[in-house]
Parts: sequence; structure tokens; C-alpha cells
Amino acid sequence: MTAKKKILVIDDDRDFLMATKLILEKGGYEVFLAEDGKSGVEMVKSVAPDLTITDMMMETWGEGFTVVSKIRSMDAGKEMPLIVLSAVDLQGPYQSYEPSEEFPKVDMVLHKPVKAQDLLRYAEQLLR
Amino acid sequence: MAENRERGHILIIDDEDSIRDGCRQALEKSGYFVLVTGEGQEGIRLAREDHPDIAYVDLKMPGISGMDIIDVLSREIPDIVLIVITGYASIVSAVESMKKGAYDYLPKPFTPDQLRAVTQRALGHRNLIIEARKLKDEKEQMERNFITFVSHEMRSPLVTIQQYIESLKIICDDSLSEEAMGIIERCEKRIQNLEDLIEHWLDLSRIENGTLIQKKEPVNLDALIAWSLDEMMPLCQRRGLRLESHIKTEIPPVAGDEESLKRVFINIIGNATKYTPAGGTISIQAEADELYVSVSISDTGSGIPHEKLPFIFEPFYRGRGKEDRYRGSGLGLTFCKKIMDAHEGSIEARSEQGKGSTFMLRFVR
Repeated sequence: MTAKKKILVIDDDRDFLMATKLILEKGGYEVFLAEDGKSGVEMVKSVAPDLTITDMMMETWGEGFTVVSKIRSMDAGKEMPLIVLSAVDLQGPYQSYEPSEEFPKVDMVLHKPVKAQDLLRYAEQLLR
Repeated sequence: MAENRERGHILIIDDEDSIRDGCRQALEKSGYFVLVTGEGQEGIRLAREDHPDIAYVDLKMPGISGMDIIDVLSREIPDIVLIVITGYASIVSAVESMKKGAYDYLPKPFTPDQLRAVTQRALGHRNLIIEARKLKDEKEQMERNFITFVSHEMRSPLVTIQQYIESLKIICDDSLSEEAMGIIERCEKRIQNLEDLIEHWLDLSRIENGTLIQKKEPVNLDALIAWSLDEMMPLCQRRGLRLESHIKTEIPPVAGDEESLKRVFINIIGNATKYTPAGGTISIQAEADELYVSVSISDTGSGIPHEKLPFIFEPFYRGRGKEDRYRGSGLGLTFCKKIMDAHEGSIEARSEQGKGSTFMLRFVR
């Protein structure tokens, strides 16, 4: 039997973390949770997840960006699939933010709430 | 010299040597930084360069007139306070110059004390203006932050509830009874309603503080209508409605914000689907004349009672009952009207009960 794949979820809303964990566990993953960006970044190192899902708007608007760039600058996080999951419509026309060149690459941007089937399908896609 | 900036920079434009010297002496003695010139063009140049807090301008001078100087300075130099120096004979023109933007006038001859008193008052006035603007900027900034804050704080719990519902459905898989599934679906619908309400309310706030429609670009309405048709077709098909468009003339582009206009169309067509029974038709027509581009969206639905027509663009006004089918945020049409207002266009509704309604959008070419 192969070991379960590990997914780390970073979000400052504990309930949202629980809900996401329940979905991902149903999909057969081992799920790790971090309630803030800093411990999230640390857990990328200590847990070495196969996939990380992070919120964007934690504490300050910018923290999600910091988390993403920190993860991407780490050995453990350089190639790891990364999903941004945010309630803010990052691709929408009404946001002042537009991904810039210096914005580190993420593999997917998803909008909260995410359908359980969608989340599992995307996770599977990225972990293939 | 620069250390006098906080005390105030004052520019004197007067062709009389004695006035210039007198003013300079009196004001420098009080610690102001003073620039003087006897020539109008030079005065304008100095003002552009130094951005003085106050400029005294003699109305009667050879060359460019004091009135013209006032005109240029009041438009070009931010927050400058202009004071007219004038002989008794020209009080009338002093009043005229105040209409043009001068704050005060100082009749000749005047004493150093009078000059200092007027200067002090003018500086006080300037500080008030600057203070008021700062407060206004701050207030606008707070309003913008407030919108972001509310958006996040109100939507987060809803998003979390929705995510929990998603997890509940997947955990229970097929073990949920039909009744339980029904309850979950109703919860989802009500949450969606609340989300729509927040979204619409935010849109209205964004229109009000000007962050929604920031730039207008040429928008092709025929393409936009085609897009709306594509977008709304699945819903119409589900409800057994025909959705069609008739473009009568060539439609020139209008200046607008495409994203918000899209939402106006979706809103109105969406409304039509709610009030039109299966088998009905929603049709969009567009035409242009020399002055206007007009789009009308008609349905063959139940129509709006005559007495209710004047109120349908009011926030939270509901023409219909509380039935699910009609449930909306109550802000949709208000949003459409504000968007059209922001485009210097108009929106009107006509309706005949039992026969249907028509919403007309009109854009200035």
C-alpha cells in the first residue's frame, strides 16, 4: 500500500480549515493545517507536503503573497504544486491586484467556496 | 529663506514701487517669506515656481491685467489664496475679481497692520481649506477600506458555511435522505441569496465612491448583446423561454465600462426570466439614431402593475410576493439605474399587465 499523499492547508479561518480537511480526507489524503502564514511556511519544511493550498487574505491583504513567495524560495516548496484559494476574486475585473511578473508562480487559483468534487479533482490533477 | 516656509510664502504683484517695498518690509518683519514683482507675467512665473500661500495682486497694472493674473493663479496654483489690492475707485472690479476666485481685497492706502491682519486671516483660510481637504481624503480612504473590510468580514462566514455544507454532502455521500438533501439545498439557496445581496450592496457602494466605473472605453453593444445571449441561454432553456435578439441598424460603439454594462444586461434578462412563464419570449432589440443608441429588453411575462412602475428602481422595492421564484437582492434594478446614470444614459421601464414589460436602455452617442 502506498503512503497517503500529504496536503497542507493554510487559512486563518479555523472553520474553513476544518471543512476543507473533511473534504480532502474523504479523498484519501493526509491533511495538515496551519492557521497563519508563518506556521504554514514552517510546516512546508517540517511536513514536506505534496501539495499546499493557501488563502490569500490573511491578517493583511499581503500576507498570502508573502506566504507564496516564501514557499517558492524554499527547497521543499520550489516545485511543489501550490493552489491559491481565496474569497477575493483575484482574476476578476474589480480587483486592483493583477498578477505581476514578480508574483511567484502558483499552479492554480480557486475561488471560495469550492465544490468538494472540484477540489478533489484539482488536487488529484496536480498530484498525478 | 526656506525656513520661513511654515510661516508663509507671500507674493506681491504691484507696479507701484512704494507699495511693494512697504508690503515687503511689513511682512518680512512678521517673519513671512516675501517675493515681489512689478510685472504681471513675472508674477505668474514666480507663482508657478514658488507656489506661494498668498498672492497680493494689483488690479490696475500695465500689461497683463490683474483680473487675468487672478484667473491664471486660481486655476493653476493649488490652494493659493488671492487678495486684490485696489484703489477706492475700483471697488466694483475688486468685487468682480472675488467672483473670479480672489478671497479678499485690500483697498489702498493701507497700513502695515491692516496688511498683516488680512494676511493672517488669509493664511487661516488657507489652512482651513487644506485641513478640510485632508479630512475629505481621509474619509474617502476610510470608505474604501470599509468596503474591503465589510466584504471580507461578511463574506467569510458565508463562505465557511458553504464549505461545511460541501464537506457534509461528501461525508454523508448517499446516506442522506431525500428530505435531508432538500433541507441542505434550501440552506444553500438562502446563503446564495445573502451572498448576492452583499455583492449587490458592495457594487452600489463601489459606484458611489467611484471605484466601479473608473474608465470608459468604446463598447460594442452588439457584441455585448451576443455575449449576454450566450450567457443567459442555458437558464432560459431550463425555464422553457425563448431568448432572441434583433439588431435593427448598425450599432456604433458607446463609451462605457464593459464589465458593469454586462451586469446590467444579465440583471435585466435575469429579471425577465423570473417573471415570464414557460413558453414566453425575451427579446432584445437595438437601434441607433443620430443622437442615441437604444437597447430594449422585452418579455412576454406578467408585467408590472402601473402604480408600481415608478418605484421599481428604488432599493429593496419588491413588486412581487415573497415566492422563491421572485426572490432577489432587491438591489438589482437600483444597480442597473446607477450604472446607467454613471454612463450618462438612462433606463426606463414600460409595462402592460398580463402582456409583459420592456426595459429601455439609452446611451448618448
